[in-house]
Amino acid sequence: MISTIYIEEEIASHPRTLAILERFPETTKIMCERYGEIFNRKSQNFRLQKKQPALILARKHKSLVLPTPIQYGIGAEHNYYFSHMLNCLYDCRYCFLQGMFQSAHYILFVNYEDFIEDMNSTLNKHNNEPVHFFSGYDCDSLALDPVTDFTNEFLPFFERNPQALLELRTKSTQIRSLLKREPIKNCVIAFSFTPDKIAQALEHKAPDVNKRLQAILDLQEAGWQVGLRFDPLIYTKGFANEYSELFDRIFTKINPELTHSVSLGTFRLPKDYFRKLEKLYPDEKLFASPLTEENNSISYPVEIRDDMLGFCKDIITKHIPSEKFFPCY
Amino acid sequence: MIHIFCALPCEAQPIIQNFKLTELKQFDLFRIYQSKDKEIDLTITGIGKLNAASAVSYHHASLNTKASDIWLNIGVAGHADISIGEARLVNKITEEQTKSCWYPQIIFKAPCDSIALITLDKPSDDYQDALFDMEASGFYQMAIRLGTAELIHSLKIISDNAEQATSTVNADSVKKMMAKHVITIKNILDSLKPITLEIDSIISEPKEYKEFLERWHFTQSERVQLSRLLQQWNLRLPNDEITKHVIENTTGKSVLNVLREKINASEFVIHD
Repeated sequence: MISTIYIEEEIASHPRTLAILERFPETTKIMCERYGEIFNRKSQNFRLQKKQPALILARKHKSLVLPTPIQYGIGAEHNYYFSHMLNCLYDCRYCFLQGMFQSAHYILFVNYEDFIEDMNSTLNKHNNEPVHFFSGYDCDSLALDPVTDFTNEFLPFFERNPQALLELRTKSTQIRSLLKREPIKNCVIAFSFTPDKIAQALEHKAPDVNKRLQAILDLQEAGWQVGLRFDPLIYTKGFANEYSELFDRIFTKINPELTHSVSLGTFRLPKDYFRKLEKLYPDEKLFASPLTEENNSISYPVEIRDDMLGFCKDIITKHIPSEKFFPCY
Repeated sequence: MIHIFCALPCEAQPIIQNFKLTELKQFDLFRIYQSKDKEIDLTITGIGKLNAASAVSYHHASLNTKASDIWLNIGVAGHADISIGEARLVNKITEEQTKSCWYPQIIFKAPCDSIALITLDKPSDDYQDALFDMEASGFYQMAIRLGTAELIHSLKIISDNAEQATSTVNADSVKKMMAKHVITIKNILDSLKPITLEIDSIISEPKEYKEFLERWHFTQSERVQLSRLLQQWNLRLPNDEITKHVIENTTGKSVLNVLREKINASEFVIHD
């Protein structure tokens, strides 16, 4: 899977680096001073690199924990996100990472202890008020968990700090380490969904809808809280049928008591990212969707947006109480 | 197209012979060879990183290279303990003088291992656990301005090591070593060719684009819109012949309006 690992000299002897390297004895290892020497350099092609991404082990020096954009949140006033990884194992065509980065390599920041220290400072700043921390904006939270040991390292912090909540955003079925632990109330494993046919067309390399749903059922069975993220909603002729079939399938199976939150938002991208993606994948039908430009952002025209959001909201709020519903427009 | 760069004639000769390249006499600053179908060419750069960089630049200006082309630096190199005659791709190039580094992106199944390389200003017998050469940094830093990191590579054949120093290397032995690795070169090229085709498919304009430019006048910004609309047409209305809808229009602007209206009026299905 991973044939090359770049290693920053500064973290070459970090225990996490050594543990990861031990898992890949046959892989080519290349030392570098800073990951920026490889990642996001000019004259690289994201689409080509995605065929054979390397793993880059690095140290994150600053901006470890950042405030989320204002409209994001699942019920708390104070919301932050952090990225122990950049880039994703999956290849979802709507993903903004393809527009944001020149490189498709996975960066793993091994200095988890600095992230946790930063989270602690953030918590202290807000006294004892609830603070939500989101993981999975710039990567899939769980897809590489067996390699990164991310959940085992971060969950103890949340066990100790019940006023903090962790959202693990994912499409992955790598839930073994979660199932081995006692569930905690302040961790939400949030799964993203699109209907089957849309997922098959756009979510390359990601587990199919049934597998994700099974992962949810397994987690709830073990007592974990899950979230449902219908973001991005993707427009297609007959979207209502496809989405209502998806909602029926999910809501008839999951345990509403252990469903923490449901959010949704329509497909949108910053204009610059969209233009880059359009060039990178000229044969991709998604980019020929009915779209409009508004405030430097590309999204569906307002009538399509309202139609999709209204339709989905009506169904979702029949299954869950409105206080668990978080539209992200 | 494939562009190969060797420092010395003895490194180049087996490649020239195998790919049946002939010298292009009109270029006199560096010796450039090319295949009959113009798909493969080779330039002899001379020794040293400055010569290598100049040769890449001259080659580009002389042969009009493209962003999807393959660039290969092939030659001999020293290493502390790798056996004489073995081949290695380069995964990191460090210029000893400036300490600048470059990382060729090997995204294909390589026919040999890859290793770091240090480009020196002078020959050295002070071997390390990295290849020694005198050209790769000059070649790479110029080629990366013209192509993409996934298609620019250095392949080195070990000519000397701690047991057999440079004094034992001569033109004949280099020719023999290079000849043995023509197959390695071919394997690498076979792996890289599909990547160039993929880049070509990404950067090529929609098939009707040229015809439309010949038939109607479009301003620069209208050309960008035209390209995008043709692309969308081909994705949303693949079975609808485009020309019949616009043939009566007299201006580029009205053509764009018709394309836009027809596309917007079409139903959108994202999957088959």
